[in-house]
Amino acid sequence: MSETSPIDALRALEAEALEAVAEAADASALEGARIAYLGRSEGRISAILRGLGSMPAEERPAVGQEANRVKSVVGEALEARAAALQGGSAASSEDLTLPARGPWKGGLHPITQAIDEIWDIFRDLGFSRARGPEADSVWYNFEALNTPLDHPAADEQDTLYLTDSVLLRSHTSPVQIRTMEAYEPPIRIVAPGWVYRRDTYDATHTPAFMQIEGLVIDEGVTFVDFKGTLAEFARRYWGPDTEVRFRPSFFPFTEPSAEVDVKRVITRPDGTREETDWLEIMGAGMVDPAVIANVGYDPERYTGWAFGMGPARIAMLKHGVSDLRTFFENDVRFLSQFSS
Amino acid sequence: MKVSARWLRDLVPGLVASPKEIADHLALRGAPVESIVSPGESLADIVVGRVVTAEPHPNADRLTLCTVDGGDGVVQVVCGAPNVQAGGLYPFAPVGAVLPGDFAIKKAKIRGEVSQGMLCSSKELGLGVDHSGIMALEGDLTPGESFVAAFGLDDATLDVEVTANRGDLLSHAGVARELAGEAAGSVVLPDLLGDPGVALTYEVDTAQVRVGDVSVAVEDPDLCLRYLGAVLRGVQVGPSPAWLQERLRGAGSRPINNVVDATNYVMLELGHPLHAFDLGKLSGSAIVVRRARLAETSFTTLDNAARKLSGDMLMICDAERPVAVAGVMGGLDSEVDDATVDVLLECALFAPKSIRATRKALGLSTDASYRFERGVDPEGARQAIERCVALILATAGGSVDGPVLDCAPTDFAADVVDLRLARVEQVLGVAFDTDRVRSLLTPLGFDIVGETGGTLQVRVPGFRSYDVTREVDLIEEIARTHGYDAFPAELRAFRPGTVPDDPMFRLEDELRRALAARGLFESHTPAFAPDGEGDVEVNNPLSSTERFMRRTLLPSLLRRIEHNFSRGNRDVRLFEIGTSFRRAGAGEAPDEETHLAVVLTGRRNPPHWASEDDPLTVWDLKSLLEDVVARIYGDSATAEPEGVDSALLDTGTSFSVKHQGDVVGHAGMVVAAKVDAPVWAGPVWALELALPSTVVPHPPVTYLALPTFPAVERDLALLVPQGVTSEQVATTIRDAGGSLLEAVELFDVYRGKVGTELALSLAFRLRFRAAERTLKDKEVDKAVQAVLRRLEEELVVKARG
Repeated sequence: MSETSPIDALRALEAEALEAVAEAADASALEGARIAYLGRSEGRISAILRGLGSMPAEERPAVGQEANRVKSVVGEALEARAAALQGGSAASSEDLTLPARGPWKGGLHPITQAIDEIWDIFRDLGFSRARGPEADSVWYNFEALNTPLDHPAADEQDTLYLTDSVLLRSHTSPVQIRTMEAYEPPIRIVAPGWVYRRDTYDATHTPAFMQIEGLVIDEGVTFVDFKGTLAEFARRYWGPDTEVRFRPSFFPFTEPSAEVDVKRVITRPDGTREETDWLEIMGAGMVDPAVIANVGYDPERYTGWAFGMGPARIAMLKHGVSDLRTFFENDVRFLSQFSS
Repeated sequence: MKVSARWLRDLVPGLVASPKEIADHLALRGAPVESIVSPGESLADIVVGRVVTAEPHPNADRLTLCTVDGGDGVVQVVCGAPNVQAGGLYPFAPVGAVLPGDFAIKKAKIRGEVSQGMLCSSKELGLGVDHSGIMALEGDLTPGESFVAAFGLDDATLDVEVTANRGDLLSHAGVARELAGEAAGSVVLPDLLGDPGVALTYEVDTAQVRVGDVSVAVEDPDLCLRYLGAVLRGVQVGPSPAWLQERLRGAGSRPINNVVDATNYVMLELGHPLHAFDLGKLSGSAIVVRRARLAETSFTTLDNAARKLSGDMLMICDAERPVAVAGVMGGLDSEVDDATVDVLLECALFAPKSIRATRKALGLSTDASYRFERGVDPEGARQAIERCVALILATAGGSVDGPVLDCAPTDFAADVVDLRLARVEQVLGVAFDTDRVRSLLTPLGFDIVGETGGTLQVRVPGFRSYDVTREVDLIEEIARTHGYDAFPAELRAFRPGTVPDDPMFRLEDELRRALAARGLFESHTPAFAPDGEGDVEVNNPLSSTERFMRRTLLPSLLRRIEHNFSRGNRDVRLFEIGTSFRRAGAGEAPDEETHLAVVLTGRRNPPHWASEDDPLTVWDLKSLLEDVVARIYGDSATAEPEGVDSALLDTGTSFSVKHQGDVVGHAGMVVAAKVDAPVWAGPVWALELALPSTVVPHPPVTYLALPTFPAVERDLALLVPQGVTSEQVATTIRDAGGSLLEAVELFDVYRGKVGTELALSLAFRLRFRAAERTLKDKEVDKAVQAVLRRLEEELVVKARG
C-alpha cells in the first residue's frame, strides 16, 4: 500500500473543511469549524503548515504552496458563510418574498400536448407526419379502406355527409390511402387530425374530435413488428412497467385486427404503487391486403400495420378529465392548468 | 348478444369455467363481454318457505299471523300480503337474511306479535315490479331449499360484444365454438326435453314446392336463396314450460308462447331466425316470396305499426298479400295466437344486403334482421328447422304434416381457401406447421381437406362463409386462436420511410409555441358553424348550430371569449389553428385552407403590485400580427393599416395582410356589437390569417460584418402635418440619409400644442456610421441637412425650432 502524498492529504482536508463550513448552521458551529481547521493551535491545516519544517527539502515548496492555497480557500469560505448567516453581505432593504413580475403565461391545448407527446415517441421510432383533407370522398373514407357501404361495419361510424359522395372523414385512415398513393414504400407515418361523426355531445362523445393514424408499410413487416413497435410506444408513453395487451377485434381495413389495452402502474403520492385496470387505447392491425392492392402496391411483396388512436382519450386518462366537453369549452382557467 | 352461461355449459360438456373466466377467454378471442349479470347473486339467503298456518293477526285487520317452515324449524311470521295462504310456497327470508338493497331481516315485534322472517314479493327480491302480494311458487319444492336454484336464477347472463364481421357469434352455439377447443371438447347440441324424435323428410325443388294444399314459391331467387316451410297441425298454443322460459330469460329474451318461444330458442341456440305463421290465416295455404308490388304500399307488422313498403323490399306473401317483411318482422294478420291450430314454420335464407337495405328503409332492426344482415349459416337451415319442430312438438303437441317444403333456388357450395404456410409466416412473423394450423382451425369448424407443397386447402364452414373468404381471413383465425399474447413483441430493425415530415406541421408547431410563449392559450373548437358563417352545408346535421362548416375561425373564438366573459374571466388570450372550408364546384369536395386566428382581451400583463394595470392595445395586436406574419411569410407579406372587408372588425382600427397581391388575413379591433360582453370588459382584439398550402421559403440570413468604427447619432424632432404617416417620414429619412445612415428609430410621439397650433411631433434618432473610418461631424451635418431638406420638400415636415 502506497502512502498518501501530502498534497493529496491536503486536498482531502480541503474538501472536508469546505463541507464543514457549508454545513455550519449558525455562528457557533462556524467558529467550531474555524478552530478545527484554521485554529492557531488545534487547526489541522495550521498543523500542516507548522510541520513544513520537518519535511524533505525537495517537497517543501510544493506542499507549502498547496497548504497556503487551501488555507486561503477555506478562509474565504468561512467569511462567505459568516456573511450568509448574518443575512447577506449586501444587506437588502427589499422584501424578496414579494411576488415576481413577468409576462402572461400561455400554453398549448392539452389535446395538442397529447398529440405532441405521442408524436415525439413515434418520431424517435422513425416516423414522419402526413396529412389529408377533412372533407373527403366516400372512396377514401370507406371503399379504398375495404369498407363497402352496404356492410354493417359502415354503420359503426355514423357519418356526416356534404354531398352523396363527399363526407367529413369519420377517421384519419383516408390519410393512409392518400399517402400510399403519393409515395413508394417504405412508409412510416403518423397522421394527426380532426375527424367527424354524427354524434351528439356527451361526456365521451363529440361530433368532431382529434385522431392520430399510424401506418407502416414495407417488405418483411410482420405481426411481431406491429406488436413490438406499439408495445414500445406504450412503455415509452406510460413508463417501462406498463403492460400491453393485444385483443382480436375487427376493422375492415386491417386483418388481423386488434384492440390495444394498457395496464399502467401508478405511483401514489405516498410512494405505493398500484396497477390500473386494462384501458383501451387504440384500434390497430395488419393492413388488409385489399387496401394495399387498392393503392397499387403488390400485396404479395408488401405487408404493414396501422393504428388509430384518440389523443383526447389519452389526455383524459393522463389528467383525470372525466368529461370530453371540457376540452371544447376553452375556459382559460382550465387551459392555464396545462401551461408549463 | 346476451348469452346464458348455463346454456354455454350445456353446449360444451367439457367446459368448466366461471362466467368471469368465460368472459376473459372471449375477450382474448375478440368478443369482449361488456357485463355479467347474475340475478340470483343477491338472493343467496332466500329459501323456499311453506306457510303451515295462516290466521288473522289479533291486533291488525290487514295483517296475517303465519307459521312458516323455512326448512330450519317452524317460526312465526307476520305477513301483510293479501294472498298468503296456508299450505302455499313462497320465497322466505329468514332472520339474518339480507335482501337486495342491503335490507337485513331481523326478529321484530309487529303489533304485539313476534315476526321471525319475511315472505317476499317479487319487487322485494328485485325480480319484478309486482308488490300487490307475495310471490307464489309452484312445483315440487322442499321448504328450506335455495330459492335461487328452485327458481332457476343461478345463471349468469353475459353481454357479449360481437363485431360486425362475426354474425356466427350471434348464437350460443357460435359463442360455444370459441370456448371449445382441445381442452373443453367440441360443441354438442343437448337433447331437448320431451323431444318425440320425429325424423323429417324434405320435398325439394328450385322455384316452387307443393305438398298437399300447401305451397311455397320463391319468385326473387336473388334475394331469397332458400325457403323451408314445415307444416305442423293440431298444436296447442300456451305458455312454455319453466325450463324453456328460464333459458330464454337467461339469454335476455322474453317468453311469449310455446310456438314463438321455440323459434326464439333455436335462433338463440343456432343463430338461425325462424318465423311461425298461423297457417289458417294464410290465404290459399300458400307462401310466395317476392318483392312488394306497386299497390302494396303499407303493411302492418306484428308490433302493430304500419310500415311503408317500397318495390325493392322482399316480402313473404300468401296467395293474395304480404304476410311478413322477409327476414325483418312478421305481420300482425298472420301471427300465431292462442287460437292457432295449424302452423307453417319458416326457416329461410335471405341475401344480407337486401335485409340491410329494407331494415334501414323501415328503420326497424330486429333480432332476425340483425342476424340476416350479418349472415346466417347457409348449411344450417335443416338443422334449425328440425330442432324447432322437435321443440314445438315437445311443448305444444301436434304433428308434422308431410315432408318439409324445401324451395332452394340456390345451391350452397362451401369455399375451399388455399392457405400458404409461407404466407402465414410472412404476415405473422412466426412459422406455423400443418399440425398446429389444424389444431387451431378445426375446433372452429374449419376442415383441412388437402395439402400440397406447403399449401393447405381449408374448407370453410357455412357459418363462417361470410367473413372467411380469403387466405388472410384464415391467417387472422390462426393468430386469434394461437393467441395474440403468444406472439413475441420485438422492436426489430426497420428501413426509414420515404415520406418527409410535412413541413406545414412544423410551421404550425412553430406558431403554436410562439403564441403560447407570448401568453396565449391554444383552443380547440369544432369546425361546425351556424347559418351565415359558412357556405359548405352538412347534408345530415344533428343540430342547427352544426349545419355548416366554418369559413373562418374568428366567430368560434369570439364565442369562446363570450363563454369566458360569462364565467368572469377578464383576461382572455386565445388562438387556434384550424381548417376553413369553402364551397368548390357542385358535387366536389370543398376547398380547405388552414387558418390561424387570435383573440385577445384584458390586461397586457398579469397584475403586479409594482405596476399599474395596462390594457392590451392595438400596438400589442400589431406586434403579434407582425410576428406571426414574419414566421409564416417572412418578408414576402406585409400588414397594412386599412379598412378591411370583415363585419367583425372596426374599419378604423384594422390591418390587411397581403402576400403577393392577395389579401391573406386581417386584424383589428372587434366591433363592440359583435361580442356579447359584460360592462367591465374592454376591447377585444382579433386577427385571422390563412396559412399558405405549402411553406413559404425564408431566404437564409446573410451575415453582416460587425462595425469596427464608432457611430454618430443625431436626434430630430419633427413637426408632421395632418395626413402624413410616421412610416412616410421614416421612409423619406432613409431614402435621403445617404449611404452613411445606418438606422432610423422613432423614439417619441407627441400630440399637443406647438406655439398656438395643435400639431403632431415625431422624434427620430438617426445613427450614422462608415464601415472603414471614423465619421467627421461635418459629414453627418451634411447628411442631416439633406434629410431635413427632403422632408420639407416632399412631406412639408419641418424640424422643431
